Amino acid sequence: MFVSDFRKEFYEVVQNQRVLLFVASDVDALCACKILQALFQCDHVQYTLVPVSGWQELETAFLEHKEQFHYFILINCGANVDLLDILQPDEDAIFFVCDTHRPVNVVNVYNDTQIKLLIKLDDDLEVPAYDDIFRDEEEDDEHSGDESDNGSEPSAKRTRLEEEIVAQTMKRRKRREWESRRRDILFDYEQYEYHGTSSAMVMFDLAWMMSKDLNDMLWWAIVGLTDQWVQDKITQMKYVIDVGILQRHVSRHNHRNEDEENSLSVDCTRISFEYDLRLALYQHWSLHDSLCNTCYTAARFKLWSVHGQKRLQEFLADVGLPLKQVKQKFQSMDVSLKENLQEMIEESANKFGMKDMRIQTFSIHFGFKHKFLASDVVFATMSLMESPEKDGSGTDSFIQALDSLSRSNLDKLYHGLELAKKQLRATQQIIASCLCTNLVISQGPFLYCSLMEGTPDIVLFSKPASLSLLSRHLLKSFVYSTKNRRCKLLPLVMTAPLSVEQGTVTVVGIPPETDSSDRKNFFGRAFEKAAEGTNSRTLHNHFDLSVIELKAEDRSKFLDALVSLLS
Amino acid sequence: MFCEKAMELVRELHRAPEGQLPAFNEDGLRQVLEEMKALYEQNQSDVYDRLLRIRALRWEYGSVLPNALRFHMSAEEMEWFNHYKKSLATYMRSLGKDGGLDITQDMKPPKSLYIEVRCLKDYGEFEVDDGTSVLLKKNSQHFLPRWKCEQLVRQGILEHVLS
Repeated sequence: MFVSDFRKEFYEVVQNQRVLLFVASDVDALCACKILQALFQCDHVQYTLVPVSGWQELETAFLEHKEQFHYFILINCGANVDLLDILQPDEDAIFFVCDTHRPVNVVNVYNDTQIKLLIKLDDDLEVPAYDDIFRDEEEDDEHSGDESDNGSEPSAKRTRLEEEIVAQTMKRRKRREWESRRRDILFDYEQYEYHGTSSAMVMFDLAWMMSKDLNDMLWWAIVGLTDQWVQDKITQMKYVIDVGILQRHVSRHNHRNEDEENSLSVDCTRISFEYDLRLALYQHWSLHDSLCNTCYTAARFKLWSVHGQKRLQEFLADVGLPLKQVKQKFQSMDVSLKENLQEMIEESANKFGMKDMRIQTFSIHFGFKHKFLASDVVFATMSLMESPEKDGSGTDSFIQALDSLSRSNLDKLYHGLELAKKQLRATQQIIASCLCTNLVISQGPFLYCSLMEGTPDIVLFSKPASLSLLSRHLLKSFVYSTKNRRCKLLPLVMTAPLSVEQGTVTVVGIPPETDSSDRKNFFGRAFEKAAEGTNSRTLHNHFDLSVIELKAEDRSKFLDALVSLLS
Repeated sequence: MFCEKAMELVRELHRAPEGQLPAFNEDGLRQVLEEMKALYEQNQSDVYDRLLRIRALRWEYGSVLPNALRFHMSAEEMEWFNHYKKSLATYMRSLGKDGGLDITQDMKPPKSLYIEVRCLKDYGEFEVDDGTSVLLKKNSQHFLPRWKCEQLVRQGILEHVLS
């Protein structure tokens, strides 16, 4: 069921209990977790935090801990599957699920006792009505009992029997119609995966309702929202609306900066609204590097070609930036050049066909030296979380990434920024090589690209978020590189090697790239059906159903099944 | 080389034929006694060092020592340890009002009732106040009452997370 009053039905219920938090491995979940942790620490709620990166881990961790807790909170996992079926909990276990994955499984919606969904009802949920899906089984049993009823007279009995038979066939037909309609409704409802409001924003809202919100929590909410935007999980419209909501909070917390007399000391944290360039990490890098490694600009300039490089030079000349300056670290650029940089770049970008060079976002300042845009933090945290690990368990990087979000761990954040730069560079290099060697081929209903084992830096893309980001950027760049109009509208399926010993690959499905994309992804269901149909050995372990693991040997039959399914 | 002087004296006595008593080698004897004193003092400092370590163990492990450690200690050391335990307990009881104050908790002035800890190695189940237990797995984080966690933090199984 959907929780209507978050404070009464969720927070006050868990306030005096010990709770177990399951947190998925994405930046939005991390931010929501930090906000919730801060609230719990304020109120001395004893909790245990367990990071989970997939369904198997969730199940294992649940089995280990279920004796010790009655209240479980799941962040960014669990809404889109039948939770009770998967976890098989005891009768008195209660689950609070704060998840952006949609569509919410109907069992979770209509369970009144054990599953409480921390999801706002104004998200476009479109849940089917109860009667369309669930039906009392008793109705049919009554009538089968009537058959054995004995009438008084034979003739009366016969007519009654006839009537009953007719009634029964009608009933059966109706039932079959109802079932087929139910199948259709469920199919439509569950066909496309998409994402709702950021969990970090939901948690911040809870904090605000209890008047316990702080600037730090607001920043985490901002980072959570920006993560959804960076990973193309929400539409542009939703992003703008949510930015508006957060902007009001930002002015409420940070208005003292504008007042000259009462302004805060420089060392205090300050968040401000920015209408800034969408170049990734540009203030911590050189402008040139940032232009080359941001997907938006790299795709539109077509920087994998020589012609593209020339266009970039023309662009820089148009803005009026000397090449030498642009290749320096941004902080060392001439102050005179940095003055109206954003406006100048936007103007020239417009001339070169890039209308959205600037986006609405937020930045945070600690003292004079440390300034970060929300997207900087998102990239840094994502790289920390997905950095390849020595011992193989996902939890070390999760902990590192969690730490980097704290204000006192700026060194970890800077480390994350360096990792992010490496990741972005590797992404662009792989994209350039894929496009130059024509590795993206059309399979009919979709495009297909397969990364080989020996590709440099391939180990950086073994985790789902990095691989999805790479695939999305590849698709965007491909759309700009191809002249084939039909190919521009196709979705992309990407495979990358996961584990050499086990011979597995990760398969990612990306929806087609259109301007007004609603970001709905049908690959989750498509992958399931294709795997079933061909008995391929797949592992649907990730919370995002459009990312799966597959045995390399089953790759070709899986793809064939997918082709026939989607044609 | 220790004992050489002592050996020499004994050999002299042995060499002298029966019935005769050689001159009382005062010098030699004094040297031997001095050596004995030096050796004794060294042993003293070693024993004292062990005592200091045993005392530190009381603060680290609480009043019941793990068996492995107990094997390493002599009977006298055990006795000394029990004495120390008793005097510490008497002292603690005499502090505070009723029941006394457990000063082996809170080695640094505490800032809050509960602390956030992170588990560095797999430890297993750990009992909490109301009888239920918490499973301490590597890299899980917990928010627990401070006094419960102190011991484990000192042993290096939990790490205090400062946010």
